Amino acid sequence: MARVLCAWEFGGDLGHVRRLIPIARELRAMGHSIVFAIRDSAYLNGVLTEGFEALLAPLLRVPAAVTVSPLNFSDILLNLGFDDWRGLHGALRAWRSMYALIEPDVLVADYAPTALIAARTVQLKRVTVGTGFSQPRLASPSPALRPWVASDPNVLRAIDDRVLGVVRTALAGISERVPENPAALFEADAHLLCTFAELDPFGARAGVEYVGPQGDAASGVNVDWPAGARARVFAYLKPADARFAAVLGALARADADVIVAAPGLAPEAALAASHATMRVVAAPVNLERILGAASLCVCHSGPGVVARALAAGVPMALLPQHLEQYLVALRMREAGCAELISPDEPPPDFHAWFTRMLRRADLGDAARVRAAALGEYSFAAGTRRAAVRIAAIAQG
Amino acid sequence: MARIALAWELGGEFGHAMACADLARALHARGHTISFMFRELHQLTFLEETSSYDVFQAPVTLHEGHGSPIPASFADILLGCGYDSGRALTGLLGGWLALFQRWKPDLVVVDFGPTALLAARLLGLRRVSYGNGFSIPPRLSPLPAFRFDEPIAPERIAQADARALASANAAIARFGGAPMQHLAQQFETDEDFLATFPELDSYGNRPATGFWGPRADLDAGADVRWPDGPGKRVLVYLKKKLAALDALIGTLAASPHRVAAFIPELEPVRVARLAGARRVVSERPMRLGPLLVQCDLFVSQGSSLCPATLMSGVPQLVFPSQYEQYVTARRVEQAGVGIMLPPDATAAAVAEALERALANPSFTAAAKAFARRYPQYSAPEQERRIVARIEEIVAHPSRWGGLPPPGATPILTPTQGSGATR
Repeated sequence: MARVLCAWEFGGDLGHVRRLIPIARELRAMGHSIVFAIRDSAYLNGVLTEGFEALLAPLLRVPAAVTVSPLNFSDILLNLGFDDWRGLHGALRAWRSMYALIEPDVLVADYAPTALIAARTVQLKRVTVGTGFSQPRLASPSPALRPWVASDPNVLRAIDDRVLGVVRTALAGISERVPENPAALFEADAHLLCTFAELDPFGARAGVEYVGPQGDAASGVNVDWPAGARARVFAYLKPADARFAAVLGALARADADVIVAAPGLAPEAALAASHATMRVVAAPVNLERILGAASLCVCHSGPGVVARALAAGVPMALLPQHLEQYLVALRMREAGCAELISPDEPPPDFHAWFTRMLRRADLGDAARVRAAALGEYSFAAGTRRAAVRIAAIAQG
Repeated sequence: MARIALAWELGGEFGHAMACADLARALHARGHTISFMFRELHQLTFLEETSSYDVFQAPVTLHEGHGSPIPASFADILLGCGYDSGRALTGLLGGWLALFQRWKPDLVVVDFGPTALLAARLLGLRRVSYGNGFSIPPRLSPLPAFRFDEPIAPERIAQADARALASANAAIARFGGAPMQHLAQQFETDEDFLATFPELDSYGNRPATGFWGPRADLDAGADVRWPDGPGKRVLVYLKKKLAALDALIGTLAASPHRVAAFIPELEPVRVARLAGARRVVSERPMRLGPLLVQCDLFVSQGSSLCPATLMSGVPQLVFPSQYEQYVTARRVEQAGVGIMLPPDATAAAVAEALERALANPSFTAAAKAFARRYPQYSAPEQERRIVARIEEIVAHPSRWGGLPPPGATPILTPTQGSGATR
């Protein structure tokens, strides 16, 4: 049976661990052993990792200043600490020590570029998992993240060269296996995209495997739609978003029954915002129970919720908060089943926006066509596909 | 031969990494297997001789120091580093337990590593503390205050102690361990290598105990010689973030003094301003022994090299940048062996203090007298004795129980689900 090391190195929220855990569970059920290396010590308490053995991932030094709008993925790496050869050297050594200690058959890297580079130096098999954004298109130069902004290939190449130079310096005395181009930084035996090709932020592409979205959609609070024939709006919102109050106010006046999931909101605030036609829950909700009957899904365009809405054939009003979500939102708008508000544009009259969207029959039609194309999608099967593929690579 | 882990969990930048590397070098030379479990890993690039050791990220919290007041006791420090919540601490403790259970050290050398000590305690591992006075609190209940520049209410000390103890016990319970009655029990070890002397100790109120003397390997590092010339010899070990650094660089560059400096990762433009015919700027830690034979002043922020160089009879100029260093600097002043300046001292103040420290023979006389007070101490002898004591400890079974034999089920894995214990 195989030993699998699941690494989460970057990315602030819990999406990475929540994606890895079902896969790890599946692998464990298949008889494999799992160790986690995660970035936040708060989750080494065994609760989130469900008793799986877990170590802290080596940490890079956080740079004093970051580029607000990184041009390509190499630019993102510089923001994450790849401009610091000393920090990178230490982290690479620590990953290598971890591999020597755990002796994994495969590394499963969820936004873990340093782990990947270190694994490459010891010829450890590796698989990346993610929803696409942390698995950049492999080309030279590393492609621009915002294709609608003109970019100079020489500028992109210069950023790549900077990263490669730092990596080369950091690997001196450690390994001769130095990545020679930006694609080599992310070289892996498989890139598993736990999403639909339609939702790949960089567009459907070759060289990756779309194992499909997965996760525990059935977890969360159980809520139900009230009986009746009114339109139904489901909203999944982050209370910290600057537009939260305006959106919530507009939803309260919508000519529809509304369910709002706002994890992180104070329970008393959720209670105060709820009324006869709107229920606000300060926690994640069971999406499987309500999404299928929704007329509109309002969310920040996180890949998980969007995948659920797409599979359920529900049109979307998208309020992306950052680039990854914005790219996903663009793809849904191109598919004809969503409208989006960019985080950079002034907030519109949300009430008018929701009213108009609820009247647009074409959005629902397009969403239903997309859902039909996906067939009876099983989110559990997505997890299984990822686990089977990882096990095959580990044992291959 | 033993497996020895050196664990550094709290505290800044260079001193801990270098001290651990010095001790590790001696232990490695004796045939022991070494691992570093370090809170910061970039210092390894200055310590090339460590390349054959295993290196791990020490469990640290991403939220360190958020919203905590200026610490007055060790418990206050703990509260700012994850001990304000049993949940956060459970994560830290879980990380250390996983690391120790995997690497299976015969002994953990703990340099400012309270949670490493807690994990070693839970696993019954042999363990020693290694540090200056600040990181090794006297085992009193409550852990006493180290602040002496303002009155500290005893209730505040007791409350902080009780809070940290409650978190520690909650975390211990999560892994099935027995609670501690006192926070001081967390610091129980096979030996405290208290690498200082009573006159320099952060805790002026420590009960009688053994002092091992300052730690430093004066024989490791880059070979640097004093430049030729008539000027005084000034040895500089500072961090580039020190606010007064540019003032000091300007003063030294305009002076006739000879300088040997190590300032990690100093920007090339500032290196260019400092370096000159009479002034050497080293990219790596320097071999201090030969330099200290003829040295008129050691300039530092109050790290462990401050007491170590004092033992060579060298007077001190100290720019303390945090409280631990401030205590050391105050001790230096009290002993009459040097001058303390604020970290953001003006150019005029820096120039005045530098000249006064170099011109007034009383500092040198006091420093030499201080060194003579401990005739048996020398850095190599201190290290030899520590290594001998470590080998004595690992030669005997752990008096705390120790890890289960290979192949046995680990006794402490995080239990599944929230709050459950077994």
